[in-house]
Amino acid sequence: MVFLPDESRSLPPPPLLNKGSAWLGFAGWMSALIDNAYNQRPIFRAGVHRQVLFATLGWFVGYQLVKRAEYKHAKVDRELFEYIRHHPVDFHAAAG
Amino acid sequence: MAAALRAVRRWGLVAAAPPGLAFTRSAFVVKKANNAQPNWLGVGLAFSTSAALWAFLIKEYNEDVMEYERRKQERRHKCTGCS
Repeated sequence: MVFLPDESRSLPPPPLLNKGSAWLGFAGWMSALIDNAYNQRPIFRAGVHRQVLFATLGWFVGYQLVKRAEYKHAKVDRELFEYIRHHPVDFHAAAG
Repeated sequence: MAAALRAVRRWGLVAAAPPGLAFTRSAFVVKKANNAQPNWLGVGLAFSTSAALWAFLIKEYNEDVMEYERRKQERRHKCTGCS
């Protein structure tokens, strides 16, 4: 099962800054800060390389997940509209 | 630490091997980490990995935008009737 099928590239790509990437990037940064706290290091000033790396990883994973989610939603929408197109009788406008 | 020592003696357990995946390290089994001297190899690897990931992400985004625009043009030329 492919993570991102080729037809997902027919969709507009989500912006680099989106809810998923921002949230997971923040979560990655938080886990670096919590690691600092557990190991009794200064929380913000210690291990900046670690903070940057975790935040980047979170951002990256978040972006890929959002791309896949948008693809799934678009696929469902397409199937829904196809169904509506094939069964016009069931979807007569407000008159029914 | 003293409480843990008492617990070990009470139940006759032996701290044989260091814990497999410890979030923090027990002072019994590992020497004290020295945070004063940076692990420059680790720092370099972390920053270069981050830079590589960002570069890859930005490249992927730009390629996706170009591919989307290209397919949009293709679709317009093939059939203008359907939505």
